[in-house]
Amino acid sequence: MPKDPLRTRFTEMLGIEFPIIAFTHCKDVAVSVINAGGFAVLGEAMHTPDEIAADIAWIRERIDGKPFGIDLVLPASVPESASLDDMIAKIPDEQRAFAEKIKKAYDVPDPKEAIALHQWGGLNQELGRAQLDVLLDERVPLIASGLGSPAFILDAAHERDMLVFGLVGKARQAKRQLEAGVDGIIAQGYDAAGHTGAVGTFSIVPEIAAIAGDTPVIAAGGVTTGQHLAAALCLGAAGVWTGTLWLACRESDVDMIIKDRLIESTNEDTSYSKSISGMTMRVLKCPWTDEWEKPEAPPVLPTPYQMLLSAEYIQASNDHRRADLMTEAAGQGVGFITSMKPARQILFDLVEEALASLEGVVGELP
Amino acid sequence: MATKTTPGDAFAGATRPTVAGFDVAKAGRRAECDGGRMIPGTKYAGREEFSGTLTGEYVDHGDPPWRWYRLCELTQKPENYEGDAVWCESGNLFVVDEDAG
Repeated sequence: MPKDPLRTRFTEMLGIEFPIIAFTHCKDVAVSVINAGGFAVLGEAMHTPDEIAADIAWIRERIDGKPFGIDLVLPASVPESASLDDMIAKIPDEQRAFAEKIKKAYDVPDPKEAIALHQWGGLNQELGRAQLDVLLDERVPLIASGLGSPAFILDAAHERDMLVFGLVGKARQAKRQLEAGVDGIIAQGYDAAGHTGAVGTFSIVPEIAAIAGDTPVIAAGGVTTGQHLAAALCLGAAGVWTGTLWLACRESDVDMIIKDRLIESTNEDTSYSKSISGMTMRVLKCPWTDEWEKPEAPPVLPTPYQMLLSAEYIQASNDHRRADLMTEAAGQGVGFITSMKPARQILFDLVEEALASLEGVVGELP
Repeated sequence: MATKTTPGDAFAGATRPTVAGFDVAKAGRRAECDGGRMIPGTKYAGREEFSGTLTGEYVDHGDPPWRWYRLCELTQKPENYEGDAVWCESGNLFVVDEDAG
């Protein structure tokens, strides 16, 4: 009898029903997906250790012992530190003037709230360690490292029966992490939201699956439909990592204006732009990204200077809920998001679409 | 072999033990560090790359030890990055001649 195509090394490893990971910053989304038979990883990189502990407790109260994951960002390099004032003072006049020009041209108001970036206390290895300590103390079932190798925590995690997955954008990163003994690799392609690598999902997933042996590989980047899930399985993945898909679901705490934008957007409505942070980043197009792509725009500054420059625009657009200005990280699969559905329905739709796709190729499945 | 190398500003204020050391096998090797770090003030992970020469200095931070190597004489770094050296996490460090491909 043919095997159930949705039963994979990943579902077996975690004892879950569907090989679908929802990456989300919203606890309600995570709980809905988990209780519907999927898996969720909550992004907690910007939270304090106390906030992380509280979120873990909140989730555990609602999922009846089912597994879940927490994502952190482990820095790979530590540049010299500098004060915020020093950094702001170094923004060149040319770029400052261009930002001011955008502000006037689009009638961008002043922010209502303090600029979130300016309250940033600084990310360093010390904060990352404190966040990791919470995950180890709480014995979170799965730690995902959205950036940076998690190799150094493998022993401590495995002693506590915790799983560790690393997200990579290059095969050599995967090779290194596999050699270290990670429990899973998330192979992220160029289609993905936010900062991502330059290799496409269709290329990176089979490349890494070929070297991963029995370690499950999870496909990421543009995965938005059941067809994508079916394709990912055929590429050798044991599951999919989805992010943009959940931003517009009913449970999501994303602003309704952004949800409407996501639903209206096509796959041509994202920008792979350095203008937000100084590094290439996929977001919904907005006046800020459009203006910086024009020939008369000055060179984009490196991070963190470009981020400091864009921070006021982003803060103001969110504070005033200006639909014409707001943006959000979104992957190229955004065009497939056409309504605001409950997370549970999104999950079941993915499953049904995937099975239909596979049956369309090989005939009826068990 | 442990030495009295200075951990540097990147480790200033660390409350956990930082143990400095020197790895002679790494000293002078060309290496690349990729992956990056979080973008300040956002929930997004940023990717950036450095290439240069390892001094051999390292710092083990906390327990379990998180090892960082010092990369200097940078031949590739983010535009306008002002430093001439950077501390790189060992799991993201690729010695060029050992990790080709």
